[in-house]
Amino acid sequence: MKPLFRLFGAAMLIASSALQIQPAAAQKVLTIATDATFPPFESIDSSGKVVGYDVELMQAVCDAAKLKCNIINAAWEGMIPGLIAGKYDALISQLTVTEARRKILAFSDIYDRPVFRFVAKQGATYEFTPEGLKGKTIAVQTGTPMDAFVTKTFPQADIKRYTSGSAPYLELASGRAELHMSYEAQITHAFLKSEDGKGFGLLGPRYTGKDAPEFGEGVAIAINKRNVELVKSVNEGLAKLRENGALAALNAKYFGTN
Amino acid sequence: MNWTIIADSLPLYAQGARLTVLLTVSALAIGFGLSLGLALLRNSPNPWIRLPIASYTLVFRGTPLLVQLFLIYFGLAQFGLLRQSILWPWLSSPLFCVLLTFVLNTTAYTTEIFAGGLRHLPPGEIEAARAYGMSPWTIARRILIPAMLSRSLTLYGNETIMMMHATSLASTVTLLEITGVARNITLTSYILFEPYVTAAAIYLCLTFILVGAFHMAERRWVDARG
Repeated sequence: MKPLFRLFGAAMLIASSALQIQPAAAQKVLTIATDATFPPFESIDSSGKVVGYDVELMQAVCDAAKLKCNIINAAWEGMIPGLIAGKYDALISQLTVTEARRKILAFSDIYDRPVFRFVAKQGATYEFTPEGLKGKTIAVQTGTPMDAFVTKTFPQADIKRYTSGSAPYLELASGRAELHMSYEAQITHAFLKSEDGKGFGLLGPRYTGKDAPEFGEGVAIAINKRNVELVKSVNEGLAKLRENGALAALNAKYFGTN
Repeated sequence: MNWTIIADSLPLYAQGARLTVLLTVSALAIGFGLSLGLALLRNSPNPWIRLPIASYTLVFRGTPLLVQLFLIYFGLAQFGLLRQSILWPWLSSPLFCVLLTFVLNTTAYTTEIFAGGLRHLPPGEIEAARAYGMSPWTIARRILIPAMLSRSLTLYGNETIMMMHATSLASTVTLLEITGVARNITLTSYILFEPYVTAAAIYLCLTFILVGAFHMAERRWVDARG
């Protein structure tokens, strides 16, 4: 009975000290979600850690703004509802800023302006018009700007939608999909350089936000609309990284350019 | 709460429900036919017949359905040899892959359910049938199959409900059944509660229909036998 009692006492001690720590740690740890199916921006490495451009950027922003951040992997479909519901404090996942999203979310300053491209078998030619892509299979991740764009622009194409950013590449490699649309940097750095990407290449126009409203203004960190304070701190952090060259260094590290 | 989006999407849900019913009914119908035969052979005294069936049901009951679906849909597609084979037009279709997986999975469970029902059959019944001079085919048709089905009807009813709910996995390989429709609304309209509650309500209605059907079947075939 005695050792058990002692154990109970120890447990109480730990519990009570944990309770005391709570108010002492004044700074709340922010939960930041990313959909880690989108290398090189966000993915899971072999040890199970979230890594990538966005993850490093977010960590640097948090350090610069003196925020405590915990970046976690979350399913794409639950991210925006989760942010609105307050499960997450912010999202960093190459989220494009669009009018529809501005209505429900707050965004930090834009940190990148991606280019959107198609990828297909090398040598294949397509005419990127509604008639030209009629009946062609295009794979996209559901709910992304690419999904919105192909759905509106190529209604006669056979559009296949996936919940992750990586599944379309499997479909491209297997031949189930002829075309896939994504961020140019993602296609180049995560797919074309890999073993599976041999024999594939970029094609079609280089789309940006200027070509279609679906592509948005650029990518930014999404924050709950009510959390004006956090938008401010994140923007301060971003500004610091721009000033001290850390953002340029990160771009150079991942993409060899700035 | 934003129910107008749901109201606008009701035609999509109707299409999704059609696909859910199609997948459930086809998987169960094919699985039922296969299981009848496999369950009889599962209890065969010949180990060369019995053991392969036992290993098949072990593998398909011992692994998650989602893993099986991914292996068949994404996994098989990685083999170049298969992609050039005559099977590829079939295996490249998500509908075919999903149905194949569901049939293999539900057949494994149903075979074991039916075979289990048969194991408790008093040996006297079969001996009596033999004494009457019935052929093995007649014994199967008149004694074994009716006994097997009436004994396992409740368990089999559960399996059909599980199968219907498992069709939600089809949405992971682009098929827009009920769950797929809900997920698409979530991803394009950023609401989660409303689309999934709607999906749950539809599944519940479909489950009621299944439960009702099995209730009637039990009254008709099981209670009557006493």
